[in-house]
Amino acid sequence: MTCMNAVVEALAGLEPTFSPPPGASGWCAELGLEFARRGARTVLVRRHHVGPLRVQKALYPEGEGVCHGIVLHPPAGIAGGDSLAIDIKVDAGAHALLTTPGAGKWYRSAGPSAGMTQRIAVADGAVCEWLPQESIVFDGALGTLGTEVALHGDARFIGAEMLCFGRTGAGERFTRGELALHTRICRDGRPVWLERGRIGGGSALLDSPVGLAGQPVVGTFLVAAPACDAALRDVCRDIGPSAGEGAVTLLPGLLVARYLGPACEPGRQWFTRLWGAVRPVVAGLPMCVPRIWNT
Amino acid sequence: MLPLIRLLQLASPALPVGAYTYSQGLEWAVESGAVRDEASAGRWIGDLLEWNLARFEAPLLAQLMRVWADGDDAQVAALNADFLASRETGELRAETVQMGYSLVRLLTDLDAFAARPGWRVRLRALDTPSFPAAWAAAASAWAIPVDMALPAYLWAWLENQVMAAVKAVPLGQSAGQRLLATLGACIPELAAQAARLRADQWSNFTPGLALASSRHETQYTRLFRS
Repeated sequence: MTCMNAVVEALAGLEPTFSPPPGASGWCAELGLEFARRGARTVLVRRHHVGPLRVQKALYPEGEGVCHGIVLHPPAGIAGGDSLAIDIKVDAGAHALLTTPGAGKWYRSAGPSAGMTQRIAVADGAVCEWLPQESIVFDGALGTLGTEVALHGDARFIGAEMLCFGRTGAGERFTRGELALHTRICRDGRPVWLERGRIGGGSALLDSPVGLAGQPVVGTFLVAAPACDAALRDVCRDIGPSAGEGAVTLLPGLLVARYLGPACEPGRQWFTRLWGAVRPVVAGLPMCVPRIWNT
Repeated sequence: MLPLIRLLQLASPALPVGAYTYSQGLEWAVESGAVRDEASAGRWIGDLLEWNLARFEAPLLAQLMRVWADGDDAQVAALNADFLASRETGELRAETVQMGYSLVRLLTDLDAFAARPGWRVRLRALDTPSFPAAWAAAASAWAIPVDMALPAYLWAWLENQVMAAVKAVPLGQSAGQRLLATLGACIPELAAQAARLRADQWSNFTPGLALASSRHETQYTRLFRS
């Protein structure tokens, strides 16, 4: 924990010195990770990175079966012109959990758009938990967030995405710019979840009752697993957020929880409690909150 | 003239697919107080029309009509699967699957559709047909132009939503007609935009609808199935 704190502090200290190479329109960063099962252990067998995206060493806070990784992006935020790509493979029988050390940021752009692509492939018998912390979309940010999850056989995936439009702590609203969202989850090539959005700064969608209803924070918690059934849905429905609005629904092989609220914290706490209910059923393990979340 | 007549039949509330039994989350919006009168009903329905229907279902329907007409059944299947995966909640998915199933049964028994060479077999071959996929098959088979089909499809949706509001809020029949007149006036432009929208510009992101529809699934007393 101390070690992680040190990393985070060091990274925070480095923030001003991280700027793209002179002449470049923005960062081009890639991170490729592959996890495989070796006996009872999940091993990070491949780690490839270009530019300022990386993962520190593989962590084993809950025994050797589950490998935790913390995806670091030292510039701490995405600026106009940046292009980030994360590619994660979890091979048969392996179990990986990935998170981030703090809130991500989409900075105001002076013009160019930024892109972040997350590709996650999970093999038969494998589990991937993709639990990044929230992202704050600054007023004037311009970007596209693409997430593609390819599941095979009985692969299980638990994913969270929480977006906060505007730096609400400073009273900022999202009045300009645009964030485009493309999320697709497929199992054996067939789509099980598809969501596309274009959230424009100052757009009527932000205040619309069918849109964000005037709330700055929107979150989606997804569980794709053969074990998702009405019983699990009903267990999740008995858990509610302390502030804001949350609801749970069930689609074939997919549990979806949505959050709309005034701040990230209640949404995050709700997702964590849902995760606590879902994980034993879907992955056969009790919840193990990454320590980095408490720092 | 025949394509227009066929379109009127397809877009009519008399089409026996049970559309009138669905409110698509509107009933929860009434229960929660988000929709309580003519103005708030108009906002809810008009915003859904603009932010969800016109930006996702309508452009997808246009694309389905094109690929049905081109004989590209693999693309039909892919778009149909995308539409099913885009349904935000269990109820919204069940709705389109039931309406799609009913429309396929109807069309495959209707000579005006089924006697046209190839159509019956092609439609029956589609796995878990959604409502827009089946509707697009009929519209293509009957040579209805996309620029007529889209406004009619949006109109049928609008009429159904306004009638749901008339029952659920409740509103008077005159209020219902005022909403249809006002929101109907937006359809020509929304339909024209939808026909031009590239696939990478489609958008179905309406978290307020997703929440309302999820909550409707456990609403204690209800008239509607969604």
